[in-house]
Amino acid sequence: MKSFLLKAWKTFARPSVHISLGVLTLGGFLAGIIFWGGFNTALEATNTEEFCVGCHADNIAPEYAGTIHDKNRSGVRATCPDCHVPHDWTSKISRKIQASKEVFAHFAGFIDTPEKFEERRITLAQHEWDRFSANKSLECRNCHDYDGMDFTKMSPTARIQMKQAKERDQSCLDCHKGIAHHLPENMDSSGGMISELEQLASNTKYEKDENYTSVRHLPIYEDKALSVEAGLLNPASSVKVVAESGDVMQVEIAGWRKDKGYGRVIQEDFGMNIAVASLLKESAQNDAVVDKFEIKEDDLTGLPWQRVNVKVWMKKDAMLANVQPIWDKAKQSYQTNCSVCHTQPAEDHFDANTWPGMFNGMMAFVNFDTDSKALVLKYLQKHSSDFSDNKH
Amino acid sequence: MSSVTNNGDGETRSREWKAFLFITVFLFPILSVMFVGGYGFIIWMLQVFLLGPPGHGG
Repeated sequence: MKSFLLKAWKTFARPSVHISLGVLTLGGFLAGIIFWGGFNTALEATNTEEFCVGCHADNIAPEYAGTIHDKNRSGVRATCPDCHVPHDWTSKISRKIQASKEVFAHFAGFIDTPEKFEERRITLAQHEWDRFSANKSLECRNCHDYDGMDFTKMSPTARIQMKQAKERDQSCLDCHKGIAHHLPENMDSSGGMISELEQLASNTKYEKDENYTSVRHLPIYEDKALSVEAGLLNPASSVKVVAESGDVMQVEIAGWRKDKGYGRVIQEDFGMNIAVASLLKESAQNDAVVDKFEIKEDDLTGLPWQRVNVKVWMKKDAMLANVQPIWDKAKQSYQTNCSVCHTQPAEDHFDANTWPGMFNGMMAFVNFDTDSKALVLKYLQKHSSDFSDNKH
Repeated sequence: MSSVTNNGDGETRSREWKAFLFITVFLFPILSVMFVGGYGFIIWMLQVFLLGPPGHGG
């Protein structure tokens, strides 16, 4: 073995005796052409939709199918590698080598079933979001160039957003996450706000004649046994405890409602659409539950409003004696979620009745659960120009 | 010329051809792939530990 290697080395190191310089150079040159051609062919072969779908047929291909990048009126498509493999050569090679880790994770059994994949989806998605965030969504912008956008052809809402995004040279994925994939399950962009508040609320001591504020939607009942449902109390709604017994209490919800239809929604104050509770039809018409007082007409809408006092029973659960932690969390959530796409308007830029329309129009862009949504909306309404000292 | 065409002539000729084919068909292609792969790996590790993900227009 040693003598073989020695002989081989002698042949390598010495000028060739029998093969001419021309043949050697030509041979090396041709082999080089064939090698580089083969290398690029292999590289291209691993950069096709077919290659990706070869493994991702069950978990990724179905959710991509039918999205705007798969099927559209002009037939121009962006397939897996167009977005997920950098086009620049160095970054591309580096990404290809990185993929060895993903192949390893599959064959070593760390992520080898669709269930395990779903479990890890948020982590894996975060890797891609970090990458897109660092290169300002370069792979999107290889096609979608800000300079090539004709803003006059956009709908007014899109125009406002896209112009601002261009001014700030913003990364597309800041707003357009999940454009070609399912978002990770339970992706909670409120950052677990409600559960944090609930934990805080577990220390609350409930006493008669004190006021408490709910941290999420809470069921309310007509009777002490909690057997007849009356409706739902909204998040961030204050009630006064009038009686308590064991782990239940009777509370008083004071507010106004439109004296029209069934009068199911109790609002916080006259003429303001800040929902405190929504009652079931039967409870809304039950005089034992709802105490009625004076009627006033709202000049703006011409609708008569009536002051009411609703007495219902509920569990001693998920309420805080001090409302401030709720506003703090809601403010944080408002600032982080909304500033991702645009500078959010000041809370007191709109009045309490304008906020719901503005807010609901934006709900398609964030992942709020119903509790977080209602909580943040109420925060905005309660800090709107109607409650602010420096009115617009 | 007579000094070159000695007894070991045929053996040397075959060794040179074998060595040439081995180098062009196996050794250098494999080394090239390792080199490019290593380059990619170094960039990856730099991104993990030093540079962060590739930036815009970089």
